[in-house]
Amino acid sequence: MFYRTAGQFKTSYEADHALFPVRQDAFLLGVVLVIAFVIFPLTASEFTFRALLIPVLIYSLAALGLNILTGYAGQLSLGTGAFMGVGAYACYKLITIFPEMNIVVAIALSGFFSAAIGVLFGLPSLRIKGFYLAIATLAAQFFLVWLFQKWAWLYNDNASGAIQVPNIDMFGITVAGPRATAITQYYFVLCVVCVITFFAINITRGRIGRMWKAVRDMDIAAELVGINLMRSKLMAFFVSSYVVGIAGALFVFLWRGAAEANLFDIPLSFRVLFIAIIGGLGSILGNFLGAILIVALPVIIGSVPQAFGIPLDSAMVEHLNIMIIGALIIAFLIIEPHGLARFWAMIREKFILWPFPH
Amino acid sequence: MNPRPDPSQLTAPDDGIARGGVLLDVKNVSLSFGGVKAITDISLNVLKGEIRAIIGPNGAGKTSMLNVINGFYTPQQGTIIFRGRERRSMKPHEAVGQGIARTFQNVALFKGMSTLDNIMAGRSVMMKRNIGWQMLWHGPALREEIEHREKVEEIIDFLEIQHIRRTPVGKLPYGLQKRVELGRALAMEPTLLLLDEPMAGMNLEEKEDMSRFIIDVNQQRGTTIALIEHDMGVVMDLSDRVVVLDYGKKIADGSPDEVKNSQDVIDAYLGVPH
Repeated sequence: MFYRTAGQFKTSYEADHALFPVRQDAFLLGVVLVIAFVIFPLTASEFTFRALLIPVLIYSLAALGLNILTGYAGQLSLGTGAFMGVGAYACYKLITIFPEMNIVVAIALSGFFSAAIGVLFGLPSLRIKGFYLAIATLAAQFFLVWLFQKWAWLYNDNASGAIQVPNIDMFGITVAGPRATAITQYYFVLCVVCVITFFAINITRGRIGRMWKAVRDMDIAAELVGINLMRSKLMAFFVSSYVVGIAGALFVFLWRGAAEANLFDIPLSFRVLFIAIIGGLGSILGNFLGAILIVALPVIIGSVPQAFGIPLDSAMVEHLNIMIIGALIIAFLIIEPHGLARFWAMIREKFILWPFPH
Repeated sequence: MNPRPDPSQLTAPDDGIARGGVLLDVKNVSLSFGGVKAITDISLNVLKGEIRAIIGPNGAGKTSMLNVINGFYTPQQGTIIFRGRERRSMKPHEAVGQGIARTFQNVALFKGMSTLDNIMAGRSVMMKRNIGWQMLWHGPALREEIEHREKVEEIIDFLEIQHIRRTPVGKLPYGLQKRVELGRALAMEPTLLLLDEPMAGMNLEEKEDMSRFIIDVNQQRGTTIALIEHDMGVVMDLSDRVVVLDYGKKIADGSPDEVKNSQDVIDAYLGVPH
């Protein structure tokens, strides 16, 4: 009834290729954006920003990057954490070498460093596929984290071996560093995520997205319709690593404030991979749903039992969290391999027909 | 239903070869994989505007022949002259730029994509806008997308698959998948269209539909077609000339009637007592 598409006729291909062919989708997104840009900043506490909203956005962005590579172009990667690290360290070096550089420019540039490294480690994809490629990207994971530890120049020979985010101003407002307020950081991250998501939607639904999906679904046929496999695979690695690198820079500069090399180790890669799988491979929306689930779950487990008067210690919360996430991943792989995004698609189909299902 | 597109607008690109001239000339080609000889010293030509059938028992080298023609395999010996120019060895994705498109024996569609996207993917080579415009989805990128969408819709109308435009092709029945695959090949606007068993596994009605599409493509668009098929009734009715292969060798070449009466062909198909 609320989602009825009857009567929305398209009279031109331009209208049919619009971002939202169905009016209600646009309305729904509008509501979500109003909540994100107006309602949350008015109501959320410092803790909510730091523990929920900002990490959800950053993890969504990292999963979006991985999803471009794995969900759209079909190239499995286990090196996401390391590519986030490249983005973060590149941004750190740019900020410390050119302190007057605008942080937006620094973050945008640091993406190119991780993109270049991503293409380099994507070269094996030209010869190997599937699990074997995953192992090859695992090499990137180990090598890069080792490099972050051993190459002191990367963390400016800091005695602690960690990178510390200095206070960074943009137009007179502190956006990063110890002095920054959570709400400015939230707005900063939200804007970056919105812009990149918009670009990602457009790339994946156009010519380049079709090329990637063709390579994913049947690479020999893709080659015989004239798609250059090498170019489209490497382009997928480039775009994916760029987005992942930006997520990594945001991860350190707008959220953690400091980072050591082992922060970018395998657990981070797997966390992002879980978000992409639970959210739904080959979908943009799925990354956000997956990130909400993965990031919100420990917070819910920590706070809901307390609200009911059942005290849980933090170790218990941690264990429960791991157990539930493990069970969820197995359940998703069996019940709905296309993840949360497919659930939403099915609910939406139901809504379109409701209340006249025949 | 929309009216049939005007055939005069759909003719294949002109390449200076008159109808009936030699479009593709394969000379003394041999291909082997290690010790296995797939094709031995075969010469055949395809004339512009004709429907050329390649037949033969299983394992005769028919599909290998198509793979040689579209550049997927490089033969060890022999030359291939296409559109009057001798062809170097090339990457498969370059064959499309030369004007050769093909379909596969086992349907090779992009299963996760809709019919529309599958056919649009056939036009990837012709779309040039870079990633910068793609990101914005405005101006040149949008215009290009719509321009190609119009061409793709003509093909969808032609093949009468409007109702499955948005369906993921993995969910379609086999006969329709074959039709979508033909659509994807047509989207490449080929001069030479290679069809590998376009009617395998189809029932009579689907075969009749497919035959009609093949004839229409040939006559309305002027596309030259080379096809492999096992249904002899279809082959004899459709094609202008037939070449017969057996054990990688050419055993007959000529009009359907000549081939039908050739003793070698009868022996190959029925077997000879030893």
